[in-house]
Amino acid sequence: MSTSTLTRQPITPDPDTRPHPSKWIWGWLYAGASSVAALLLVLVGYLGTGVGSGEVDWPTLLTESAWSPASSVYGGLAMIYGTAVVCVLALVLAVPVGWAAAVALSEYLPPRVARPLRLCVELLAAVPSIVYGLIGIIVIRPVIARLADVPGGDSLVAAGIVLAVMITPTIVAVSVDALAAVPDRYREAAFSLGLTRREVIRSAVLPLARSGMRAAVLLGMARALGEAIAVFLVVGRADGRLPTSFGSFLDSLVHPGQTLTTKLAGPEPVLAGTSGPHFAALCGLGFILLALVAAATFWGTRGQRHSTTAKRTPRYRASPRMRAQRDQLAKTLRLGALLLPSVLLVGMLALLVTRGSNAFHPSFWFTSATGAAGGGVRDQIAGTLLLVVTTGLLSLPLGFGAGILIGVHASTRTARLLQTLTVVLGGVPTILLGLAGFVILSTAMGWGRSWLAGAIVLVPVVVPVIALSTAARVRSLPSELKESALSLGLTRAQLIRSVVVPYAWPATVTGLLLGLARAAGETAPLLFTATVFFGAPTLPSGIVESPVQALPTHIFTLSQDSGDPQAVAQAWGSAMVLVLITAVLLSAAVALRNRFEGERWTT
Amino acid sequence: MDNIITVRHLRVHSRDKTLVGPVSFSLEPGSTTGLCGPSGAGKSTVLRALVDLLPNGLTRDGDLQVLGRTIAPGKGDANLRAKVVLVPQTPVVFGGSILDNALFGLRHVLRAPRKVLRERAEQALHEAGLWKEVSDRLDAPAHTLSVGQRQRLCLARALALEPAALLLDEPTSALDEQSRDTVEKTIAALHGRRAVLLVSHDPAQVERLCDTIIRLDQPTATSPTVTVS
Repeated sequence: MSTSTLTRQPITPDPDTRPHPSKWIWGWLYAGASSVAALLLVLVGYLGTGVGSGEVDWPTLLTESAWSPASSVYGGLAMIYGTAVVCVLALVLAVPVGWAAAVALSEYLPPRVARPLRLCVELLAAVPSIVYGLIGIIVIRPVIARLADVPGGDSLVAAGIVLAVMITPTIVAVSVDALAAVPDRYREAAFSLGLTRREVIRSAVLPLARSGMRAAVLLGMARALGEAIAVFLVVGRADGRLPTSFGSFLDSLVHPGQTLTTKLAGPEPVLAGTSGPHFAALCGLGFILLALVAAATFWGTRGQRHSTTAKRTPRYRASPRMRAQRDQLAKTLRLGALLLPSVLLVGMLALLVTRGSNAFHPSFWFTSATGAAGGGVRDQIAGTLLLVVTTGLLSLPLGFGAGILIGVHASTRTARLLQTLTVVLGGVPTILLGLAGFVILSTAMGWGRSWLAGAIVLVPVVVPVIALSTAARVRSLPSELKESALSLGLTRAQLIRSVVVPYAWPATVTGLLLGLARAAGETAPLLFTATVFFGAPTLPSGIVESPVQALPTHIFTLSQDSGDPQAVAQAWGSAMVLVLITAVLLSAAVALRNRFEGERWTT
Repeated sequence: MDNIITVRHLRVHSRDKTLVGPVSFSLEPGSTTGLCGPSGAGKSTVLRALVDLLPNGLTRDGDLQVLGRTIAPGKGDANLRAKVVLVPQTPVVFGGSILDNALFGLRHVLRAPRKVLRERAEQALHEAGLWKEVSDRLDAPAHTLSVGQRQRLCLARALALEPAALLLDEPTSALDEQSRDTVEKTIAALHGRRAVLLVSHDPAQVERLCDTIIRLDQPTATSPTVTVS
């Protein structure tokens, strides 16, 4: 051992001699965080120009059912009614099935079976809504048409069923996460007190998972409220249908209707321009929609506090045999509920594979489309990839920065506010993003239809996913690690650069891939901003008036022509390609997550 | 020579309650001072207060001087923490190799050629009594070390900073008897060369290692809570 250390003076570090002070980190983090706030502000600002112009006739908008731009009557009640009916229908169908299936998946099935099933459910939850819309057209509409004698089968009930099918996987996936987060020792303790499995679940597991399962429902509800495209294809879009009695209410269910989102996704926003009462009324509708969705997401993220256990005292003691019977019944019902998502999965795969057989010819991938009649989807694939990659490049630094800022300030009030803003941004109906992009980028800035406008309106879809996934990972960083680094004399910026970022990036990339999987399938934001059905070059050469073709909007246009078998075949082929792209992104995300979840970083 | 740390009437509060103190003591160069008391008395909290790393929601008042500079609450910065280094109770290793860990603090604090940094890190590994065990595998992942070795690695990366004082928080609580003896030997070897403030719940250990002992009791309104023996 040397004694030279005796004479050596302590280092006197000062800001000048400190290597890599990394002050720029703060600029990056705050830029990311303010981007979230700015995106929301822009959105609210766009709606505000219409709403604030004083041309919105709120009483008419909220109480009248007639909507007629020709005679300047703008009543939105029928659309609010349509949205409510469709949403309630979807929830009534999806919630019991979703919850029961989640319990079956997490509590009854052995992990060997449950794990791949969970992955499948996540895959279903990531399937683009346009594909659910196609299923609605092919499967659900004919059934309704036969049952209720409605020509074509376009109806509110069809839209409700499509939405139910669409949100069930979301509800299952999020509920399973909540159930899986309940530590096994609770189950063990309850079992060892002699409870049956049903009783263990009811009194030991569900009380702890309840808030997460409720959040799952609200997430599903936000999706259902904000969904434009899948509903658009099956709801019929008939204005002014408002029932006046109970009989006509039942009747209205099997007839065409209109919802807030389908009105906004129709041709009217383009016709209405960017000022005047028509524009203002549409902004008013958008505002109502945004308020509904924001309320749903907001309540979904709050309410963790109210997880008081309900006190249910049984009136009598059940005999052992009854307990066993109830246990058996609960098991049967729950495993039965699991059948539905499984049937959905198998049915969807079968439909995609049989109808989308086009996609298995290599020529389909590598030739250009020739109208609706035939050809391949090379240009659409290229366009979608261009949009997705650009969106990813724009979103990654912003979402990463915002996520780290939320994560490192885990408990302060601003961080909580920022977290809420991020969640709300993630829940914004994508049709509103599309309209904001149309008004601001395409019209006000004069870009017309531009691939860059499309990529920019997809940024708010991806940024929240990256930010929330990063923030959750940063929060799980052991505090001892932070303390050790700080007590070795690191500044906070250095801590973030050398400890937090290397720890968090796998979650960031996972979030990026998940977000891009969602963005790749988004149709509504691109309709008015970025894509054309044909006539665009494979890759655009400029920004202004440089549209691309993309898979989701391609499917959307084709599927509106559902009478033409050629177009339908093309649509299914494109859907197959789109699902494959989404599945690749999702599987990469899951593989990365599984790889890093078990990684030991400390002690 | 001046005291390295001088504390007068240090108290730590949560929002509505005094958790620790008032405490007064000083840390002289080269001395080994023990801080002991029952669990919950706030020994670790005092250490964190000295380097301004109190958990959220806790504040301190009283007079704190480090190296002749008065540190106002919340004004302790990274440069202060590089001179008075806290070694937390849990031996945390960062991702990367053993050498990476020994260099971890140094490379963020000192701008110098890689060779110089490495020399100092190796020196520190000597000083922490770890060199013989790891000299042949400096590039091995740090998490392959045993808990006792990790504890000494944490000590080494603190020593690499050539700190004026080391604040050790229960350095042997997670260790078996044999590793404890090794770490104690390392601490004893620092005597006379570095100021050490050692927190321990084991009175015997404090007797063995320290020349000054501060006893911390549960804070009460009336009685003086600190006795220096």
